[in-house]
Amino acid sequence: MKKKFLIQFAGLLLFSATAFSQQYNQENIDSLIQSKVQTQVARNSKFLISGYTNMTARFSKEQSSFSNIGFVPILLWKPHQNILVEAEVETGLKGSETSIELGYADVSFFLNKYLTVRTGKFISPFGIFQDRLHPSWINKLPTFPVGTGEDELGVGPTSEVGIDFRGGIPLGSSKMNYSVFLSNGAQLITDQGIPSKQGTLSYGNADAISKKLTAGGRLGLLPFSNSSLEIGVSFRSGNVGDKNSVYKNIGATMYALDLTYVKQLDFIKGMFDVKAQWNKVNVDKAEYIDPDDPTGNTLYTFENKRSSFFTQGAYRPSMSQSKFLKKTELVFRYAGFNPPDGAKDLTKIKQYTYGINYWVNWRTAVKLAYQNQKNDNAFLVQFAVGF
Amino acid sequence: MKRNTIIITVAMILTTGLLIASCVSTKVTDKSGNQLWSENCQRCHNTPPSSAFTNTQWEVINTHMRQRAMLTEDEYKKITEFMQAGD
Repeated sequence: MKKKFLIQFAGLLLFSATAFSQQYNQENIDSLIQSKVQTQVARNSKFLISGYTNMTARFSKEQSSFSNIGFVPILLWKPHQNILVEAEVETGLKGSETSIELGYADVSFFLNKYLTVRTGKFISPFGIFQDRLHPSWINKLPTFPVGTGEDELGVGPTSEVGIDFRGGIPLGSSKMNYSVFLSNGAQLITDQGIPSKQGTLSYGNADAISKKLTAGGRLGLLPFSNSSLEIGVSFRSGNVGDKNSVYKNIGATMYALDLTYVKQLDFIKGMFDVKAQWNKVNVDKAEYIDPDDPTGNTLYTFENKRSSFFTQGAYRPSMSQSKFLKKTELVFRYAGFNPPDGAKDLTKIKQYTYGINYWVNWRTAVKLAYQNQKNDNAFLVQFAVGF
Repeated sequence: MKRNTIIITVAMILTTGLLIASCVSTKVTDKSGNQLWSENCQRCHNTPPSSAFTNTQWEVINTHMRQRAMLTEDEYKKITEFMQAGD
């Protein structure tokens, strides 16, 4: 009886030990899998699709249409504590065709507290409009101010392909930020096919068109402790002519000044927002084929100096008791473009835009605007959503 | 011409008043996440509520904003912690 009991007891011990061992192993394996999976999930979940979308309706005497339909996803991925990968894909409709353009695609390395290095294609840190304000859910009006786009009226770069060093530095109760870059040169347009484009520049080229790299940057100062005011100065200089053409020594120098003031002010019971920017582009004098001569044998030249500016003010009664008024915003923008003297098919432009926005939420707006410009008055409606 | 003069004059008067109204002093490094969130976001766009994104998404979004808005590491950390706390 005693022997039988001992055998049963030993068997029970053996079974318990095996079961415990299996359980222990299983727990270990579970824990191992869990930690691996969690790491993997965490790594993958640091991927995010952000961006914005918009639709604009434009009504003028000449024509009325739904236009400027855009969907712009921004892909963000943080594979490491100090690395960020980002890309903006601009999709839209041009006529009946779908257009896809790469807004930017770059990798940022956060080297220390005050220095970030990004490389790839990035938005040019030239002024504030392209760098900060152009997305439709941020831009307070349905249109870009004249002189800030990528068309023949554009004054200044929109994007760069190269490397950029940037960051912010506290200066006691003030603050400064900087962005210094080296990039591929812009390309001087010399083709007489579109006369108004002769002497303009295209930016963000992946090809090395000019002999040397271009250097530039922006320096911003926020003098007030509450960071309500920012004043910036930008510069960019380099060769722009094709290195295999007679334009190889042509260079371009650009400057910009910008101002931002945003603050909720008690005495006007709301948010007051001012933005301004002035751009100047000087391209060395060059000779172009005269588009007015069908034989293509006549050359002409002009002082290729152009400038543009905009000043924008917005008021939102954010301290109002009325929920409707709190979400309503009044906007006014004055913009201008000064073409080079002697350039073909370009005239001075003054543009006045009056707008009223209703913010459905912090990133969704319905914008109504009237734009007054010589021979091009228009009433605009835009729906813009950030996501 | 007259319209431009009026615009410039009004802008100058407003700017002077606003500069005076803005003169307060706190060290940038002493600011809270709440204050940094409010001051930095609204300079370009409306300030998002903390509920707009999950904690992990805030980390990615604010890393993006650290680069775009040229925030320091300290500002990035304080703003991210504030948004993740959901205050």
